[in-house]
Amino acid sequence: MYFQRNFRWQEIPLHLYPVLYFFFVFTADEEDTVIDSDGRQERAKDKERKKERDRKRRRNVARRASSARKEGKELEDRPEREERRGRKKRDKEGKGKGKGGEDERQEEVKNDTVAKIQKNFSNENTRKLEQKEMEVVGEEDGDTEGKRKNGRSKKDEKKEDKEKHESSEEEEDEEEKEGEEKPDVLSPEELEKLKEEVDERKKLISTLRGKPWPMRKKLLTLRESHEFVEKYEGALGKGKSRKLTVICYRDFENFKTACVPWEMKIKEIESHFGSSVASYFIFLRWMYGINMILFGLTFGLVMVPEALMGRPYGSMPRKTVPRADEANAMDFAVLWDFGGYAQYSVLFYGYYNSQRAIGWLKFRMPLSYFLVGVGTVAYSYMVVIRTMARNANEDGGGDNNSFNFSWKMFTSWDYLIGNPETADNKFASITTSFKEAILEEQESRKDDNIHLTRFLRVLANFLVLCCLAGSGYLIYFVVRRSQKFALEGLESHSWWERNEVNMVMSLLGMFCPMLFDVISALENYHPRIALQWQLGRIFALFLGNLYTFIIALMDEINLKREEEEVLKLNMTIWEASLYNGTLGANSTAPPITVHPADIPRGPCWETMVGQEFVRLIVSDTMTTYITLLIGDFLRAVLVRFLNYCWCWDLEAGFPSYSEFDVSGNVLGLIFNQGMIWMGAFYAPCLPALNVLRLHVSMYLQCWAVMCCNVPQERVFKASGSNNFYMAMLLVILFLSTLPAIYTIVTIPPSFDCGPFSGKSRMFDVIQETLESDFPAWFGKVFSYASNPGLVLPFLLLMVLAIYYLQSTSKSYKQANLELKKKLQTQNEENKKKTKMAAQKAAMDLEEAQNARSESPRQQRNNNASQQSYRGEKNTVAFI
Amino acid sequence: MVSGAIALAFLPLVLTFIIRYRYYFVLFYRAVLVRMWYDCKTGLSREERAFQYVLTHAIPGDPESILETFDLWCSKVEFISNIGPKKGKIMDRMLSEHCPLTVLELGSHCGYSTVRIARALPLGARLYSVEMDARNAAIAEKIIRLAGFDDDTVELIASPSDEVIPRLRADYGLERLDFVFMDHWKKCYRPDLQALEGSGLLGKGSVVLADNVLFPGAPNFIRHVRKSGLYEWKIHRATLEYSKGIRDGMAELVYQGIK
Repeated sequence: MYFQRNFRWQEIPLHLYPVLYFFFVFTADEEDTVIDSDGRQERAKDKERKKERDRKRRRNVARRASSARKEGKELEDRPEREERRGRKKRDKEGKGKGKGGEDERQEEVKNDTVAKIQKNFSNENTRKLEQKEMEVVGEEDGDTEGKRKNGRSKKDEKKEDKEKHESSEEEEDEEEKEGEEKPDVLSPEELEKLKEEVDERKKLISTLRGKPWPMRKKLLTLRESHEFVEKYEGALGKGKSRKLTVICYRDFENFKTACVPWEMKIKEIESHFGSSVASYFIFLRWMYGINMILFGLTFGLVMVPEALMGRPYGSMPRKTVPRADEANAMDFAVLWDFGGYAQYSVLFYGYYNSQRAIGWLKFRMPLSYFLVGVGTVAYSYMVVIRTMARNANEDGGGDNNSFNFSWKMFTSWDYLIGNPETADNKFASITTSFKEAILEEQESRKDDNIHLTRFLRVLANFLVLCCLAGSGYLIYFVVRRSQKFALEGLESHSWWERNEVNMVMSLLGMFCPMLFDVISALENYHPRIALQWQLGRIFALFLGNLYTFIIALMDEINLKREEEEVLKLNMTIWEASLYNGTLGANSTAPPITVHPADIPRGPCWETMVGQEFVRLIVSDTMTTYITLLIGDFLRAVLVRFLNYCWCWDLEAGFPSYSEFDVSGNVLGLIFNQGMIWMGAFYAPCLPALNVLRLHVSMYLQCWAVMCCNVPQERVFKASGSNNFYMAMLLVILFLSTLPAIYTIVTIPPSFDCGPFSGKSRMFDVIQETLESDFPAWFGKVFSYASNPGLVLPFLLLMVLAIYYLQSTSKSYKQANLELKKKLQTQNEENKKKTKMAAQKAAMDLEEAQNARSESPRQQRNNNASQQSYRGEKNTVAFI
Repeated sequence: MVSGAIALAFLPLVLTFIIRYRYYFVLFYRAVLVRMWYDCKTGLSREERAFQYVLTHAIPGDPESILETFDLWCSKVEFISNIGPKKGKIMDRMLSEHCPLTVLELGSHCGYSTVRIARALPLGARLYSVEMDARNAAIAEKIIRLAGFDDDTVELIASPSDEVIPRLRADYGLERLDFVFMDHWKKCYRPDLQALEGSGLLGKGSVVLADNVLFPGAPNFIRHVRKSGLYEWKIHRATLEYSKGIRDGMAELVYQGIK
C-alpha cells in the first residue's frame, strides 16, 4: 500500500515498522506477507473470498426460507435480523481494530460491511423469489418438495466445498446444520448438540494461535467462529447477556485504565522514548502510591490527632517558640530552614506531648506515634518484597545466551514505540546490534582482544573507585569542617559555609554520575549491562554520601546530649533560684506562673535530626529541579534557537539535546525514599513533603522529557530492570532502617520534648501500654512469649523453613530446566522425523516420475504398463 | 565567599567535560593554537606551509604520493580540513560508480580534493574547481599542476561560488553537471544548491556530494534537501578527517527532478 519504490521512512505509519522489519528479514514467502507491492492483489483475493461467502450465504438463506415457510411468517425475517446483528458486531470489531491502528484490517472490514449491505439487498430479493417459487410449487407437497430441495442444495454445496479448504468445509457444514436446527423449537438433543458445537468453536478460538495455518486462514476462521458463537449462544439463551457483559467488561476495563494515574502520560513517553525511560516513570508512580499510604498513616494517626486533640500551641515550653527566637520566628529565611514556628509545630517530633491519652477519644498519642513509625517501615518492607516476588515470577528463568541471534531476530522490536524518530533510532539500533553481535561472534572465535577489554574494564573500575574515594574524602572533610563551624557558632559564617555539606553532597551526586558515565565508555558493555553497572556505581556513591551524613549526624546527636546533661543541671538550679528568689524558704503559696517561652529547654536532638533530614530533602529537590531547568530546558532552548545563527550545527553536534538519564533519576528517587524512611520517625511531615515532591516531579519530568530530551541513541528494552530497581530499594530500605532503629533502641529520648519524654527508652511505651491498658494475663502471655527460650527456637524454626522452601524452589527450577531441555530435544527429534518422512516422500515421488517417464517405452507391453501405472497411483496416494 | 570544597565538587564536572569532548579540545589545539603559533613563527599562511612541505616531500607527477604527503602533514604537523583519506575513499567509490564526465568542485582549498577527484575521473572528463580565495587558488593551481593534471582535465576558477554558478552555462558552455562536490563555506551549501537547481545544470541522476554536513554541520542545507523532495539522499556517516572521535558525515544527493 505505502510501499513505493522511493518511499521515505517518515511516511510509513508506525505500526508497519515491525512489519517492514520482518519484511526485510524474510523476503521469501511473498504470498503471505502483509505488504504486497500494492494492496490490490490482497484486495482482489478478499473480494473473491467475499463472493464465495456471499454465495454460501445466499444458499443458506434460501434453505432457511424454505424451512421457514413451514413455521409461518414470523420467522421469516430472522435471517435478516441475524445478518444485521452480525454486521453490527463486525462493525464494532472493525472499530476496535481500527483503534489498534490496523488500517489495513479496518479497510478490509469496511469493504466487508459494504459488501454485506449490498448482499442484504440481494438476499432479500432472492428470498422473495424463493418464496414465490415455493408458492408456485404448491402447498400440498410443499413440505416434501422443500426437503428434497434442501437435500439437493446440500449435496451441491458439499460438492463445491470439496474444492475448498477442509476447515472451511467443516465450518460450512456445521453452519448448514445450524441453519436447519435454527427453528425456535429445539429438542433437548439438538440443543445439546448445538451446545457442543459452540463449545468446540470456543475451543478452536482458544487454540487457533497454535495452528500451523497461514495467517489469512487463521483470521478468517477466527472471525467466522466468533460470529458463530455469537449467533448461537443467543439461541441458547445467553447471548445477549453475554454481549452486554462483554461491553460492560470492556467499559469497566477502560474505566480502570482511566483511573490509573498518569497512565496516558506514561504511555506517550513510552512510545517516544522506549520502555527504559517509561520504566522510570512507572517506578515513580509506584513510589508515589507507597508514599501516599505512608502519608495517610502519619497524617491521619499522628499529625491530625495531635493538632486537633493535643494541647494547643503556647501551652507548654515544647510547644512554644523560645523568647530569644520570637523576634524572627516568622521570617521566611528561618521558616525555609524549618526553624521558628515551623520547628514548634506538628511537623516535628519535639512538639508532641508525652501525655498518655489525649482528647475525649482517649487517643493514645505516644503509642500511636511509635506504632506508626514502626508500621510505615514494616509496610514498606512488605510491599517491596511482595512486588519483588511478583516480578520474579514473571521472568521465566530461561537462559539468554543460547539463541542469541534468534532472540535478536524475533524479539528485538519494541512494540510500544509510537514515534517515527524513535522508531528510526530503534531500527538503526537493531541493525547496529546485529552488526555488533556478528562482530562479537567473530571476535569470540578469535579472542585475541579479550585481554585489552579486560584491562580496560579493570582500569575503568579502578578509576571509578578513585573517584568514589575522592568524593568520600571531600564529604568527610566538609562534615568535619562544618562541625568546627558549629562549635564556633553558625552565625559568624556565610551562607555558603553553613550550607557547605548539603551543597557539596548535591553537587557530587550530580556530577560524579556524569564522570562514571564517561568512564564506562571504556568498558564497552551492552547498554543494559552498562546501565546496571552505572546504577551500582551511583549507588555506592550515594550510599557513601548518605552514611557520611549519618555519621556526622550521630556526632551532632552526642554533642546535643552532652548539652542536655548540662542543661538538666542548670534547670534545677534555675528552678531553685526561681522559687528562692520570689518567695521565702517555706512556701505553700500559689505556684508561680512563668510564660512557657521563658522556661529554659533542652536542645531536643530528635527535632534536630528531623530538621536535618527535611532540609536535605528540600535542598535535594531544589537541586533536581534546577538541574532539570538549566541542564535540560535552558540547553534545549539555546540549542533550538541559537542554531539559526551559529557557526556549527548545535543540534547534531556539540551541545545537542540531552538524553534522559534513567540511572541517575532512579537512584535519586531511591535515595530520596531512603532518607524519608530514615527521617520520618523524627519528622512526621516528611512523607507529606515527599508526596508533594513526587507529584511535582511527575509533571515536571514528564514535561521536561517530552519537551527537551531526545530519545536515546540506543533504545533498549528495560523489561527486566524493574526488579533491579526493587532490589536496590530493598537494600536501601534495610540500610536506612538500620540507623533509625539504632537511634530508637540505644539513645534515650530527650527529657523535655517529644511523645516519649520522661522514658528511658522509646519502646518503653509498649511496655507501659501492656501494663495499663491490657488485662494482666495478656501481659503475662506477652512476657512469656518474649522469653528468649521461646523466641530462639521460633527463629530457628523460621530459618529452617526458609532453607527448606529455598531448596524446594531450587529443585523445581532444576526440574523446569530439565523439562525445557526435554522439550527441545523432542522438538529436534520431531523435526528430524518429518525431514525423514519428507525425504522419503520425495524419493518415492522421484521413483514414480521415473516410472512414468519409462512407461511410454513400455506401453506396448500392456501388462507392465498397467502395473507401473498402478504403482504410480499408489505412490501418489501415499504422498 | 565560596569555599574551596564547593569548588572542588565541580572537579568531576570539569573532568567529565574534558574527557567527553577531548577530541574537540585536540582539534581546537591543532587547528587554532598550533596554526597561530606557526603563523607568527614563519610569517607564511597555513596553505603555503603545506605547499612547501608537499613540494619538498612528494614526488612530482604522482597524485598518489601528493595525497599521501598531504595526509601525513595534516595528521602529524598541522590541521587542514581536507576531505581526508577515509571519506576520500567513499568519494572515490562513488566516482568510480558514476563515471561523471563533468564535475564541479566548490571549494578546492589547497587542491587536495581536486587531485583526488581528478585522479579518479575517466578519460575525457573535465573538472571545474571553484576557489574563492586568490592565494589559496594559486597554491591549488600549483599543487594540481604538480600532480600532473593539465588545463584540459582541471580548470580552476578563482572567484566566489555564488558568482560562478550562474555563469557556468554561459561562460564555460556547460550543459549538465554529473557530479558536484561541495566543501567550501558550510553557510553557502544551501544557497549554492538552490542556485544549481535554478540554473538547470542538474539533470536526472546528477550526484551532489556535500562534505562536513554534521560537523561543523550544515543544518539549513539538510533541511532544504529534506523538504524539497528533489533528491534521493543519504548520509554517509564517518568521522572528521584526521580525527577519530568527532562524528561527521557526507551527504550524497541524487537529483531526481520534479516528479
